[in-house]
Amino acid sequence: MRRPPLVVVFLGLVIIALGETAGALMSQLRPQLASYARARVAANPQAHGLAGSPEYDAEVAARAVYAAEAGLSFFHTHAQGLGPLVIFAGTVAASTVRWRVGRGAVAALLGLGALFPLGYLAYSLAVLEWGREAGIEMAERYVLTPLGSAAIVGLVALAVLMVAGRGRDRDA
Amino acid sequence: MTPPPTDVWRRPPLPTLVAAILLIACAEVGGASMAKFKLELARGARAIMLARPAVHGLVGVRDVDEQIIDEALVKFDAGLRLFHLHAEGMGLVIIATTMTAATLVQSGGARRAIILLLTVGGAGYPFGYLLWSALIPYYGIQTGKAVAEWAVWIPFGGATIVAAWWLVVLVGARLVRRA
Repeated sequence: MRRPPLVVVFLGLVIIALGETAGALMSQLRPQLASYARARVAANPQAHGLAGSPEYDAEVAARAVYAAEAGLSFFHTHAQGLGPLVIFAGTVAASTVRWRVGRGAVAALLGLGALFPLGYLAYSLAVLEWGREAGIEMAERYVLTPLGSAAIVGLVALAVLMVAGRGRDRDA
Repeated sequence: MTPPPTDVWRRPPLPTLVAAILLIACAEVGGASMAKFKLELARGARAIMLARPAVHGLVGVRDVDEQIIDEALVKFDAGLRLFHLHAEGMGLVIIATTMTAATLVQSGGARRAIILLLTVGGAGYPFGYLLWSALIPYYGIQTGKAVAEWAVWIPFGGATIVAAWWLVVLVGARLVRRA
């Protein structure tokens, strides 16, 4: 099996390493992360719609902190999954796609797609800074959707190129 | 002697591949067992907890005790789920990272050390979740977690993290040299 471009392997490895590290930090620093998140919510009262009522505000803050923690958890799990996936799919592309431009395009799309889990880090931060709904929408629109789409398009393009290559082989 | 080509993947050592495959198989078996024996597992854990009221802070008042037991059972179930998820993920991580190390790390010593750390760390780490689940009914959530953390998660997870970043640095240096 042929190796994908070094930069794709590197991106896959970085995402795996970040995912592992995030998991460990989440486990060891949970109280610190939660208090940081609560502090950021308190520092952005308008974005979170805090009303000055302790009970209501505590509920809003708890929901935002939960969403931020969920973002970190999604980052950890997606990084563990997407890192190897990009390396393996890149290997399939490097080994089976003969058209150089197509192979390069798939590698580029997979390389971009490897960064998709970082969208969940952006999600966590955006929730705390811009409020739960607005933060999630920003992260989805500007980070998660473009990077996730790159991974999807890369995988679909790989499948199409593999099928097209097979067809050409049969004709020849 | 010409060095082996680095544009073709080299296979990681066989024991590494066997460890990764076995880990994935354990994850699959774990997932299937969780689904098949969910009730039996919960009943067994509950019985053990009821036999150790002091460990879990049970006071003999049904409403209070049920809440404590439910919380412990949720964590017990979460530990099994996390074992299933992490074992599936780490099996693939071991294959991808050790294949990269076998192909791209030129120094024999560094290559062997990275592959060993990734294999042992990656294969051992998910079992911490299984240990946590097993300990919860006997020793409670926090004590079980502390034991799993020090006996498994920190040493095995630490080994994986160190090896993964070591590999990132070596592959990054190679990328920079090439640029």
